[in-house]
Amino acid sequence: MLFHTWPFALFFLIVYPIYLVLKNTRLRLPWLLASSYIFYAWFNPLYVVLIFYSSLVDYIVAARMEKSARRKTWLSVSIINNIGLLSFFKYGGFIVDNINSLLSALHIPYGVPEPGMLLPVGISFYVFQSMSYTIDFYRGNVERERSFIRYAAFVSLFPRLLAGPIERARNLLPQMHTTPRFSSQDITDGLSLFIAGLFKKIALADYLAVYVDKIYSSPEQFQSPALILATFLFAWQIYFDFSGYTDMARGVARIMGFRLMLNFNNPYLATSLGDFWARWHISLSSWFKDYVYIPLGGNRKGTFNTYRNIFLTMVISGFWHGAAWTFILWGAVHALGRFLTREMERTSLYRENVPKIVKQLFVFALVTFAWIFFRAETISDAWTIIARIFSSGWANPYCPVLALMLIFAVWLYEYAYESRIKWILELKIVRTGIVIAMILYLAIFAPSSEQGFIYLQF
Amino acid sequence: MTNNHKNSNEKREYHVPYGSNAIRLSGPEWIAIAILCPALFFLAPVLWGYVEAFEPGPDYRLPYELGSDYWLYHRHCRKVCSKVESLVVGDSVIWGHYVSKDNTLASHLNKNIGRNEFANLGVDGFHPAALLGLLKYYGRDITGKNVIVQLNPLWMSSQKHDLQTEKEYRFNHPKLVPQFNPKIPCYKDSFSKRLFIAIKRHISFLSWTSHLRMTYYDNLDMPTWTLEHPYQCPFQAVMAGLPTADNLDLVENISWIEKGITPEDFAWVKLETSLQWSLFQQTVNLLRARDNNVFVLVGPFNEHMLKAKSYETYLGMKTEIESWLRQNNVAYYIPPPLPSEFYRDASHPIAEGYALLAKQLSENQSFRSRVIP
Repeated sequence: MLFHTWPFALFFLIVYPIYLVLKNTRLRLPWLLASSYIFYAWFNPLYVVLIFYSSLVDYIVAARMEKSARRKTWLSVSIINNIGLLSFFKYGGFIVDNINSLLSALHIPYGVPEPGMLLPVGISFYVFQSMSYTIDFYRGNVERERSFIRYAAFVSLFPRLLAGPIERARNLLPQMHTTPRFSSQDITDGLSLFIAGLFKKIALADYLAVYVDKIYSSPEQFQSPALILATFLFAWQIYFDFSGYTDMARGVARIMGFRLMLNFNNPYLATSLGDFWARWHISLSSWFKDYVYIPLGGNRKGTFNTYRNIFLTMVISGFWHGAAWTFILWGAVHALGRFLTREMERTSLYRENVPKIVKQLFVFALVTFAWIFFRAETISDAWTIIARIFSSGWANPYCPVLALMLIFAVWLYEYAYESRIKWILELKIVRTGIVIAMILYLAIFAPSSEQGFIYLQF
Repeated sequence: MTNNHKNSNEKREYHVPYGSNAIRLSGPEWIAIAILCPALFFLAPVLWGYVEAFEPGPDYRLPYELGSDYWLYHRHCRKVCSKVESLVVGDSVIWGHYVSKDNTLASHLNKNIGRNEFANLGVDGFHPAALLGLLKYYGRDITGKNVIVQLNPLWMSSQKHDLQTEKEYRFNHPKLVPQFNPKIPCYKDSFSKRLFIAIKRHISFLSWTSHLRMTYYDNLDMPTWTLEHPYQCPFQAVMAGLPTADNLDLVENISWIEKGITPEDFAWVKLETSLQWSLFQQTVNLLRARDNNVFVLVGPFNEHMLKAKSYETYLGMKTEIESWLRQNNVAYYIPPPLPSEFYRDASHPIAEGYALLAKQLSENQSFRSRVIP
């Protein structure tokens, strides 16, 4: 069930009034859990078994950890179980493919059978969220959750179940302990977030996808201008798609009295790759920072080790996104970009003399280049695209001007939002006018889209 | 959870940043939008009716390419209901698939009586299940009129035509058929899509946006249209005006025999289990409930195309249809078969066929007394 579909509207119209009735009773959390499981079962009822199992194991692990002297052992159980689930369902096919390629290269006449498992939607998100709870509990950063229903509702909370934000127990669990506070501002804020997300998804992301899909499905047929524009459009497509999803998730949660963390903060205005990752998919990048980069040593052990840690974190982050070499390479390109911008930031010439907008455009160009590896079907396709961008000639790209105008309008809006003229955007008439324009555009021109979100495949 | 921990949680404020943009409306602002947007949604199609020139002439029929433009159909209905007393509704036989707009049944009926009394409200590609939906949701202006409803037996000539196959079959006008009840076995669209269709039927604004898409954007959504026309302004496209309804490229004045079609056996469905027949009965009841004087035209069906066994079954079915019409006191006419060379296929006459059919109908006593004023 996706936020921008009619079944979700129907689902929410049933779930929400009952939730309001039950919000001051003991039935609030059971209802929330049941609603979340129904929401998830809409994709495949068997998925519920998996999320229940994942929640149960981490709940028991935390309970054992509290009473046992062998806390580290129990933490290992949680980590192995969670990584095992991901490996089995998400990376099984990739691992088997690579083993078989290796066996074939070694002329060994044996092939490991393909696991043939479907990737349960949202597994990467809820597994990471559940795992962060056991790690935080091990570190003493959160108290143990004694109610299984509350814990299971924390893992499966439906607004953020499919693609995050990956919440931390210390932010979300306490909100489940208290009766939700419903001010009218929460509801109006939720609506505002939802409408902005809906517009990003349907009017922008799905629109740009039409051109991007056409070019990337057969890159060898297109010349440099089309490939450059498709890559440029994809950079915005994925931003609108994922941040649109997050806005809707945060909006729905807000209407229900939950405050989910900010996940995107105008990432294409970043002035360095480090800054970019502080603005893009914040819940994931902070997860990797807290549970991978810092445990590896962070930036405390000299330049080489810092760069090694950045590289490993980025490559693992790439692999989290998808079980393919393209994602690993994407992570590696980002790591190299971080080295580059980090070193440049250390020179006073770059830091003090290069205008901010030039830095922003440079970072945007780096990020966009890296998206080629993210979007391409195979590494071979990615090389083809890069080679053709630099070597093929001119041909009319037939890129819709309207798409470029919409992107420019959004960029201008974001640029203004982070400048001294932000007050203009905050005028009542401007805010209301923008929302009316978005609603009318969606109603009149947008397709009745039911396209999934890009990040659901992760 | 200890009491201390619980208390500390209750006191905690969650300082989560709101978002990365200024789109944050207050209650009164949302209320203003809740009033303004529905008003705009209501007004836009109404105002568009003044902007977009639409004056259907005497032999007007919906352009072939706008057969799925139900908003335009509704508009057409409203216009003709204010001008004439008798409407002819049905599938492509009534629309006149192989003939020009001045050779349709409605057109020949008008010629016979010497004035423009009959309007062609047929739509190409229709079938009884779709006709019911069309009249139910987009033909609400048809009240207190003489309505000649055509029943094409072709729709009961096989499980597939009757929409009864279990295997998915992409039939015409799925947006008009019942989405949930009765269940149509060959209709497999997702729950989400059906729900949207069911909602859309009741919101004129959404039908109007489909009208814009069909009329001005080559039946594409705007994103896809801009991909086809990357350097054109999409807002300029809506200035083009409605297409004409001539559709002369469809005209074919040759018979089914000349076309090389041979007689065949039809696997007729039983009338008591036929979905199309059941929905046709509902159509008749709906029109009568709206105070219309309903006259059913059964056919014209090309009986020459039937092999002997199939013909026997067809005759039995025709008798059952007649029996139901009589029992329910519905005026009807079952024309004798037209000469074989006047048919283009199993049910469509060519121009001479329409002229003869109109003559037969005009001479029918029941039709003369019940329909012709």
